[in-house]
Amino acid sequence: MNGARRWPVCLGGIGLVTLLTLVSPDGLLAQEISRSYGDFPLIGSRAAVWIAAQVHLLFAAFVLGVPMFAVVAEAIGIFGKDRKYDKLAKEFTRLLLVAYSATAIWGAVLSFLLVTLYPRLWVYLTQIFAPSMWVYAGLFFLESFTLYLYYYGWDRWAEGRAKMMHWGLGIMLNVFGTIVMFIANSWLTFMMSPPADVTPDTSPDMVQFWSAFANATWMPINIHRMIANVVFGGAIVGAYAAYRFLTAETDEERAHYDWMGYVGNLIAIGALIVLPFAGYYLGREIYEFSPGMGQTLMGGFMSWLWIIQAFLIGVLFLAGNYYLWVGMGRIPGAERFTPYTKYMLVVLVAGVIVWATPHTMIASRAEIAAMGGTYHPFLGVLGVMSAKNTAVNIMILTTFLSFLLYRRANKEPVVEWAKTGTMIQGVLFVVCAGIVIFYGIYGYFVTAIVRIGFSVYQVLAVIATIFSVLAIDIAIGRGAKSRGAIRWGQMPERSQYALFILAVTFTWLMGLMGYARSGIRQHWHVWEVVRDTSEFAATPALGYASQIISVCVLIFFGLVAFIFWVGGLAEKPVLSGVGSEGGD
Amino acid sequence: MWQTNLKVLAVVLGTLAVFTIVSSSIPQLQSVVPEDLSFSGDVTAEVLVAAGQTLFEGAGGCADCHGSGTRAPNLLADEAGTGLIGVRCASRVAGQDCKAYLYASLVDPNAYLVEGYVPIMADMSRTLSSEQLWALVAYLQSLGGEVTVTGADIESEGSGESTGAAVPASAAAAGPTSTSTDPVEIMTANACLACHIMDGAGAPIGPSFDGIGGRLSADYIRESILDPRAGASEGFGALIQLMPATFGEQLSAAQLEAIVQFLTDRR
Ligand code: HEC
Ligand code: HEC
Repeated sequence: MNGARRWPVCLGGIGLVTLLTLVSPDGLLAQEISRSYGDFPLIGSRAAVWIAAQVHLLFAAFVLGVPMFAVVAEAIGIFGKDRKYDKLAKEFTRLLLVAYSATAIWGAVLSFLLVTLYPRLWVYLTQIFAPSMWVYAGLFFLESFTLYLYYYGWDRWAEGRAKMMHWGLGIMLNVFGTIVMFIANSWLTFMMSPPADVTPDTSPDMVQFWSAFANATWMPINIHRMIANVVFGGAIVGAYAAYRFLTAETDEERAHYDWMGYVGNLIAIGALIVLPFAGYYLGREIYEFSPGMGQTLMGGFMSWLWIIQAFLIGVLFLAGNYYLWVGMGRIPGAERFTPYTKYMLVVLVAGVIVWATPHTMIASRAEIAAMGGTYHPFLGVLGVMSAKNTAVNIMILTTFLSFLLYRRANKEPVVEWAKTGTMIQGVLFVVCAGIVIFYGIYGYFVTAIVRIGFSVYQVLAVIATIFSVLAIDIAIGRGAKSRGAIRWGQMPERSQYALFILAVTFTWLMGLMGYARSGIRQHWHVWEVVRDTSEFAATPALGYASQIISVCVLIFFGLVAFIFWVGGLAEKPVLSGVGSEGGD
Repeated sequence: MWQTNLKVLAVVLGTLAVFTIVSSSIPQLQSVVPEDLSFSGDVTAEVLVAAGQTLFEGAGGCADCHGSGTRAPNLLADEAGTGLIGVRCASRVAGQDCKAYLYASLVDPNAYLVEGYVPIMADMSRTLSSEQLWALVAYLQSLGGEVTVTGADIESEGSGESTGAAVPASAAAAGPTSTSTDPVEIMTANACLACHIMDGAGAPIGPSFDGIGGRLSADYIRESILDPRAGASEGFGALIQLMPATFGEQLSAAQLEAIVQFLTDRR
């Protein structure tokens, strides 16, 4: 095993972080902070902290997302008695080990940069949050040792009660990881939405810990991040599998990684579908916390960001569906459905266009004056929330339909009511689309408050449809005759590049939303409490942000590639031989 | 193998390039940092209006709500037949003249709610200084009305206004800009209130100056200013490094004594 060689790295990283997080304000005595800001050469302090935070966060998201589905895969292995899922779970976990030390190292880099470049803010935050920082460090220890037990104990505790205990370890790993994330989230959400009674004149000692900790945007961010981490983990695993697929030397290997890429993509797209709902929740809380902040976010200098976001999500939906459609080529019987893909493509593209149509757009100050402060005439109709909600819900429905066709492709139902069942499914789809569109149009005729309620009906309709259609589908699939096993591994190479595009786009999107979340504070370190008086107080424009984000994504993928390469040097993972089994 | 690596690299770089190029080809807007304003007592209306307009369109964030139609009353054009804001301001609330109404709508926006809107506007004095608020009022008045804001308004409202813009470092670095021996002036020049509170103004980074003479002796205060590292005040141990240690060099002996005397007298 090469694992032993990795230990020192992990321990080193964790040691660093722990040491850092334990640095109480008193520890800073050694360092002069009669200044508020430090200097970082060339790129400046803001970019330095930005890059460190973003790369740290990408690794952190990966090590939080992957354990979630590793545990689920292990459970499928245990309760479904399917060894190949157990193997898959173990391979996921193997990726975690190395990613973990990278997370710790970048966490250390981030903390050092904060201490040296933003000492005043750092002192302020530690005064409020010190105890939670200690707990954080402790949990980090627990989390990493649980991970070691989980991975290195995999083969020893493989049977019976020992296996259940092992699975319990996996659950604990998730619990610790989630708490660690929740704690860190409290610090950054506090900066965004400090409790209303905290003003510039409030001494940090007087800030109530719990009200600062559980601030207005804390829970929405927790939920949003948890889901996004799953999406992200799935996408990275998909890219990893795609790479292994492309470089595979045997058919068996190709089959295994084809399947792994499929699972990764399914997880990513599946979780992506619920993400917008978490996004609405977060947006609503931001708006409630400070309408001014919400307004700046949606209609102020950040308004263009949403067009880029829509563009990226469009890329995701298209690449994800494309992968599914190409994947049908390896399923006997899927030819029946290929004619439909072109219509789905049209619907998706139309959805993307509507979603990318800006709402309140402030292109330039002169333009506001010229328009007399009203909607841009061309953007009014498609740009408002009604149209966008409708578009995104229809896109979700379409993607779900792609997935259904994919599932159905090689099955020949045997249950008597199969035809009726399929018709019911179709009717559900049509009714759901009808509801979504009805409220979309009706939304133009009512006030904003009522309209917000409509989006809830649309979402509920889509969720209800997804669940009921899926339930029917599972029932129909009972004992279905197979039109032939999925020919795992017989996948054109271009489909694998779609997986790379998915992974890069997800990563970039996370960077973009990170910029939005933290840039919306503008010239405040802590919103309307601690002002940013550095030369970097302004939130930069998107062009500059996009360069930084691209650099972060490159660093991240560069490191991931290196880590996986190192990991692969000594180890040849045992393959699960799915080639002969089929199934999804 | 290498061919595959190159292809993967090309796909990754290509995707990144597309995103970066698309993001760079849209209008580039960055957030605007409000400038600290200061006006002399005889400031002209033009100066105020110009400063107010800059703030309104930029850092004040007003245009985000007021520029887009349905969320907030239109401040640049007529609103539901009531006229421009510089005109309708006089008739909104009985007994309130235009200037008073506009000022009130900034610092207590929900006291009078324009019909058809929900109370989402925040108290702007939380983030804007008195100078900034009055500049905005002047600008709004100028939209159809007569500007009646003067330097006197700013001064009467201006004392003790804190904008949260506590600037310890830049303040500390600023150095002595005054040779005066008036304690308040010296302390202003050295930005003591960037870290200390006095009469409700300033920032609570160090101990408050209110009642400090009752707590500390003149010697102790002198010592604290000359050599702040000597001993931390209770509850500020961690922050001891923040108090600049350079005042001993920056202040003349007479200035130092003036401050010490002044603070000792604040019982
Ligand atoms: C979060 C959105 C929001 C922001 C930001 C905002 N306002 Fe308002 N404002 C409103 C709303 C809504 C009303 C109408 C309800 C009320 O009277 O409070 C209003 C009312 C007003 C009025 C009274 C208008 C009238 O017709 O009587 C004035 C004046 C005003 N705002 C000025 C400003 C200025 C100046 C700024 C920037 C410093 C600003 N507002 C920022 C939402 C906002
Ligand atoms: C950068 C922030 C900062 C600035 C600027 C600053 N102080 Fe302080 N000051 C502190 C801090 C923090 C303490 C508490 C730590 C300590 O006791 O040394 C303190 C402590 C003191 C004390 C001791 C108070 C006590 O209760 O023990 C005095 C007196 C004092 N400062 C006076 C001044 C004067 C006068 C100025 C302006 C010439 C000034 N300070 C400027 C941060 C600052």
